[in-house]
Amino acid sequence: MSSRKKLLLKVIILGDSGVGKTSLMNQFVNKKFSNQYKATIGADFLTKEVIVDDRIVTMQIWDTAGQERFQSLGVAFYRGADCCVLVFDVTAPNTFKSLESWRDEFLIQASPRDPDNFPFVILGNKVDLDNRAVSVKRGQQWCQSKNDIPYFETSAKEAVNVELAFQTIARNALAQETEAELYNEFPDQIKLNANDNGRNRDGDNCAC
Amino acid sequence: MASTSNDNVPQHMNAPENASDELEPGACHDSILNPTDSFEEFASEMSSSLRETCLTTKSSTISEIQSEILETAEDPKLKAAKSSDDLQTKDGSMSASASNSNLIEENGDDTDDDKDYLQSPELVNKEKHVFILSTAGKPIYSRYGNEDKLAGLCGVIQALVSVIEEQNQDILRFINTKDCKAVFLVKGPLILVAVSKSNESETQLVLQLTYAFNQIVSLLTLTQLNRIFEQRRNYDLRRLLAGAERLIDHLLVFMEKDPAFLLGAVRCLPLPEKARENITNAITTTCHKIRDLVFAIMIAGNQLITLVRMKKYTLHPSDIHLLFNLIRSSESFKTAESWTPICLPKFDATGFLHGHVSYISEDCQACLLLLTVQRDAFTTLSQAKHTIAEKMRRANCLVAINNALNRNEELSTTKPLKHIGIPEIRHFMYKCKSTAQLFSSDPISLDRLQDYRLRHKEGGDIVDKKITKLSDIDYVRNYRKFCNQIHCVATPAKLIFRSSSQDTILSWVTNGFELYVTFDPLMEKDHAIKAVDRLLRWIKKEEERIFIMNAPTF
Repeated sequence: MSSRKKLLLKVIILGDSGVGKTSLMNQFVNKKFSNQYKATIGADFLTKEVIVDDRIVTMQIWDTAGQERFQSLGVAFYRGADCCVLVFDVTAPNTFKSLESWRDEFLIQASPRDPDNFPFVILGNKVDLDNRAVSVKRGQQWCQSKNDIPYFETSAKEAVNVELAFQTIARNALAQETEAELYNEFPDQIKLNANDNGRNRDGDNCAC
Repeated sequence: MASTSNDNVPQHMNAPENASDELEPGACHDSILNPTDSFEEFASEMSSSLRETCLTTKSSTISEIQSEILETAEDPKLKAAKSSDDLQTKDGSMSASASNSNLIEENGDDTDDDKDYLQSPELVNKEKHVFILSTAGKPIYSRYGNEDKLAGLCGVIQALVSVIEEQNQDILRFINTKDCKAVFLVKGPLILVAVSKSNESETQLVLQLTYAFNQIVSLLTLTQLNRIFEQRRNYDLRRLLAGAERLIDHLLVFMEKDPAFLLGAVRCLPLPEKARENITNAITTTCHKIRDLVFAIMIAGNQLITLVRMKKYTLHPSDIHLLFNLIRSSESFKTAESWTPICLPKFDATGFLHGHVSYISEDCQACLLLLTVQRDAFTTLSQAKHTIAEKMRRANCLVAINNALNRNEELSTTKPLKHIGIPEIRHFMYKCKSTAQLFSSDPISLDRLQDYRLRHKEGGDIVDKKITKLSDIDYVRNYRKFCNQIHCVATPAKLIFRSSSQDTILSWVTNGFELYVTFDPLMEKDHAIKAVDRLLRWIKKEEERIFIMNAPTF
């Protein structure tokens, strides 16, 4: 097993209930869509293997429940994530307004080391519907204001931009990983000759 | 002891106690090993509070040794020796940027991939699964199957652990179903889980998980393990452990088969007293001037031949088990002298010792480990090794070791049951508590362990087949629940005598020893007690051969 090139990325999908988080994931992983709404309970886990730059990357996708009563699952889910995907419904302005609090919530709970550069991706879903209420411009502006978060308009139903969005997610998470790798070679080795911190040394301490 | 047969039952129970006062075979004043009651330790693991699960590294024994050496020697070289050991495995080849990349997707055909995989032959019907993951839910190790494909399962495990932790401020320890136990151990940045259908108790499973954790620490040190995850909680630890899965694989099999783990004891290679003395002398006379040497350990076939140590320092059996496992799992040591960093978690989890590892000679499968705190002592130790091997050869020690390894029939310790001459005894195992050493009537030889691995290549499936002839492994399997009752923290049993249509098992613990004996069925109590008495006398008579009765230092 050559695990040398293997890598697993933990991707978390957040957003209000009903915006299509599970549908997006299903479209990406299984190429399937169902019009029926089934609320996610707690969280779903799906994995998909992709190849980015010759590297086999397993995406471990954590699809969370949007309903508030599951929010207490918090830290558990956010801990150690490589990328966070925030989803809203372009036909429901309130779901767009929630993005801010989802993002804050994530940053508080996951407390990544470098919050400003933590990879987020925003997906405005359901662009196949006619009753659009959040304009492209509004979406883009908000993303720009947040340190240029990549923004995609998607349709889980018609598989619009889903592939591309997830590619970006994998790549951005991986880039973060790579960057960290360069500066993090665990340079400090164990200091073997640290001070003897007052442990009892009897008279007989000759090693011979 | 003859009078016991006329006593009534409660006194039966007392009778052997008296015997123990005079007989504690294997006991000696000075021990090379830390006496253990491993169970108590792991039982306390089980009852630790939430806060205690965060591991803190204690002060370092290695630093202590080094500063002592510094004090006594003022060795300038050592002072300057800033440890710059490279990590064993590094993932060097990562493309620096993600530009120009092509992202191809691989067969993500089906929804039910994940669910199907859990039902695949690789995974179903196993007696015991072990999963290791990070607290972020990223898979690190799975005993069976491909851990990548188990990422979803790892997410569920992580969620279970965290929900209990966050909502109830509590620790998830185990989940029992009708025929299956899932035992959880959260240690530092790792979550370890055993899912078992075996007859092992929760404590025994926690012990195995702790060993698996220590195996990882042994490769990385606890300091490094903690630091990696402090810096990056999303770290994929497989990158550092690449190639080491094998060590965990071997360890898990080893633990299921060898009672040494169950009892927290070390098995010694039975040797004539004189031969062992000669081997020890060969080491001490050669090494007494090498000042940074902490331990010289000679082992063969998962058994200890001798252990010479720096004054004041002893080894914990579990550290020795990890060394056994390292040697046993690494064929490469057979072909060349090796120089390798080794962390012994019980001795000092914060740093590496440096080990010179080599087999004595082509015609003798004894392996010598010289462990030092000095990073550049390879040449010195290599020379020492050759001198030791030469001295051993001249003193005929190699022959003695080979005889013992080949289980020469002339040695009384090869077939102890024949020599004891009590036909009703089918099997026994004995642990001397004060020295943490173990002897059993039918030790599992290295070959048999390997056979066992081969036979179970596809891995640990549950077999319902009726066993016709019991091996040591099967006897030990039977002792597990007795062992568990004896080590039960709440109501420990001192003596258990249980008859069934298959056999009669007696297990008995005193301050000095633990003994497990399997008799024929229908064995009567007073008979059994007499037999045990004779057995103990025989062990006492042979103690100089089957145990290491001194604790030599350099």
